Amino acid sequence: MSVSVLLVKVLEFMFVAGWIGSAIVLVLTGIEDVGTLLDTEDENSR
Amino acid sequence: MSSTSNAPTGNNRVRIVVATSVMLTFISYWRAAAVILNDLGSSAFYAGGIAEQAIGKSAPWFVLGVMLFAFAVRAVYVESCSMFVRGGVYRVVKEALGGTLAKLSVSALMFDYILTGPVSGVSAGQYIAGLINDTIAIADAHGWVPVAIHNLFHGTPQVGVNATAVVFAIAVTLYFWWENIKGIEESSEKALWVMQITTVMVVMLLGWSAFTLLKVGVHLPPFPTLANIHYTDESLGFWKHSKLPHMFGILGLIIGFGHSVLAMSGEESLAQVYRELAHPKLKNLKRTAIVIGVYSFVFTGLVSLLAVMLIPDDVRMKVYSDNLIAGLAMNMVGPQVLRLAFRAFVVVVGFLILSGAVNTAIVGSNGVLNRVSEDGVLADWFRRPHKTYGTTYRIINLIVGLQLFTIIVSWGNIYTLGEAYAFGVVWSFVFKTISMLVLRYRYKGERNWKVPPNFHIFGVEIPIGLASVAMVLLSTAIVNLFTKSVATVSGLIFSVVFFAIFSFSEKVNRRKHADTAAQMKEQFQLQQADSVERETVGIRPNNVLVPVRDYNTLNHLKWVLEHTDTREQDVVVMTARISQFGSAAYGLSTEQMFSDYEQTLFTRAVSIAESFGKKVSLLLVPARDTWSAVAQTAHNLDSSTVVAGLSSKTTAAEQAFLLGSAWEAIPEPKKQFVLQIVQPGNIVDTFRVGPHTPTMKNEDVILLHRLWLNVTREPGLENVHHHDILTQALTRFAHDYGALDHDHIVRELRRHSGDVDPFPVRRIADQIDTVQPSPPRPERDDVHRDDRPSNLDNDGSE
Repeated sequence: MSVSVLLVKVLEFMFVAGWIGSAIVLVLTGIEDVGTLLDTEDENSR
Repeated sequence: MSSTSNAPTGNNRVRIVVATSVMLTFISYWRAAAVILNDLGSSAFYAGGIAEQAIGKSAPWFVLGVMLFAFAVRAVYVESCSMFVRGGVYRVVKEALGGTLAKLSVSALMFDYILTGPVSGVSAGQYIAGLINDTIAIADAHGWVPVAIHNLFHGTPQVGVNATAVVFAIAVTLYFWWENIKGIEESSEKALWVMQITTVMVVMLLGWSAFTLLKVGVHLPPFPTLANIHYTDESLGFWKHSKLPHMFGILGLIIGFGHSVLAMSGEESLAQVYRELAHPKLKNLKRTAIVIGVYSFVFTGLVSLLAVMLIPDDVRMKVYSDNLIAGLAMNMVGPQVLRLAFRAFVVVVGFLILSGAVNTAIVGSNGVLNRVSEDGVLADWFRRPHKTYGTTYRIINLIVGLQLFTIIVSWGNIYTLGEAYAFGVVWSFVFKTISMLVLRYRYKGERNWKVPPNFHIFGVEIPIGLASVAMVLLSTAIVNLFTKSVATVSGLIFSVVFFAIFSFSEKVNRRKHADTAAQMKEQFQLQQADSVERETVGIRPNNVLVPVRDYNTLNHLKWVLEHTDTREQDVVVMTARISQFGSAAYGLSTEQMFSDYEQTLFTRAVSIAESFGKKVSLLLVPARDTWSAVAQTAHNLDSSTVVAGLSSKTTAAEQAFLLGSAWEAIPEPKKQFVLQIVQPGNIVDTFRVGPHTPTMKNEDVILLHRLWLNVTREPGLENVHHHDILTQALTRFAHDYGALDHDHIVRELRRHSGDVDPFPVRRIADQIDTVQPSPPRPERDDVHRDDRPSNLDNDGSE
């Protein structure tokens, strides 16, 4: 396996693993965001 | 706390209190979101077109993917802001990876900022040129263009799109260059207004597109598989002769993602507005992040998708690649005139938001360079203030010079500009995210929020979420190095040149600053304080505050010292170090605040005070704008008087209005004070800032007195005071103004404002009977009363 192919494989792994993790981030922060939006305490919408 | 003075202290040094917190007017999360979206939202006008030119018709899926991923990047910014109030790239990278990489990250950020201007200006120009050409083409098709002109152009007259875009971009850049030289203030009000208009356009666009899709049917773009990604030589860059991009499906996804990543440019603004967000800051930052996330996903993401679905393939890239939203407007169902009118609206909105982004680019670059200059990595020469306007004009000249150079070299090629722009965007994100990852282990201070999820293995935290975001960004940035040859070459040259300038300047400055610091230490003792408090400065209440800026115009300080007995009343000389958008996001150390310029300024002030043999206290505060700083300082120091020199840009009345407006923004409780503007020749204008007893005209006093005389004749009202009459009158006025007679009152005020048609006070007063004074009653106001009946009815008015 050449160096460039190895590099591509590493980059692909990083990208896929990163996206899976980022999707979890999106779900977890999304749930938290719903709570933030529903919480109107101290809301300043001026 | 001992009193500050220019009299020798124990070690013969004058103490200067340096406040290190920028004085800001806090804004709501809606306004903060509007400020960010002015930058972030502008990419909707060009990101989709650039991505499709690079990777073909499946580009909208990548743009949508980028906008989805932007939610995760936003989470990184929320975590950084929960650690550092000024959590921009420079601060975070310096904290995690040290000064060298911080300088490199700032170089990438500067590349991002400097290219924002040309990309936005050229894009706006492309939209305008496209509208002109299509309007002429339609007019020509209807035979409305005279034959002579038609023949002169050998066909339909058309303007050169790229040339027009270049001319427009240069004109807009020069306009904002001059505005920044003059020192315009960033206004969240203006940003909110632009976003309101943009929202109207977005709603119309989505609504009309949905209607059109119902008529013509829904045809989604091809999904992003290796077979559907169509590279060009330009989009593969250094890999154009390589088989790699055609061998690996996921690599194709990374290449496509990399060509679309500029759609989320502007995220850095999130860290910069955090400083100015109102309480509760973190919660409001999250709300801001949600608003900009949803808005940019809908605007940039859906617009790119709709463009491919609605604009026919044969014209989309050929005609509308550089003005995709205009193409969308022209391919809706409906009458042509309506579509053309909507396109004109799109161009107006594009002009507003993209021009705003040109300004943001100048202001942001100026802020970042000011910050690194303050850190000693750019020569002080750059920060020398403009003689008239006091702005850092040399830095502004440098930025605008680079932007004009970029516009001319690119010659209106938005694709090349966008590709290069992505270099700065993605690498500043990479530096930021990796630094945040490092800080998970190195930073032991307060951290109010973390990017989820996080696991612990044998007591060691594994930040899954943060590492995931970093991996996506790093893999994309590395692939971009190979596929975006123009961006890689230009970005690296730019970053290396800037890095070299920073490093060289730092070495030169280090020696110079050591000498300056030694001199400064002999003369001044800097005392750092988080905020401006009377106790910290060591002064008594009811002091005189003297704002100074230019060391050549300190006449007002002389006037104050002539007229003030400093044994009875303290004098505080303050200067505001203006930290613009960008630099306010970074922390300032005491020495950074106190540059050569401030040293010269305070040396002159002290010298003047010494010539009078009087004590003054010295204060240096960072601020976003001068008048807010003066108002807040006067409030915090419990000053009774502020004495300023006459500005070269405004009249004394305008200065008073500006200070009054800044005072209004201070939360209650607050105290009124007097503003005195000392003009040349020691002519002094005096104003009261805050609610105060107005100067009453003689006829008003007579009317009030006659009303009082009549009212006190009423049974049971013998003890009414003059102020009771005023209270009753004002209460009734407020009631009528608020509900019953608002329009009539406004009309009357407009009619009688000025001296042309003054209020008929004398006439009203004359209609009230003259009264005979009776002996004064000591328990009441020093006034007279009368028992005769009045000609006034119940409400005492005509």
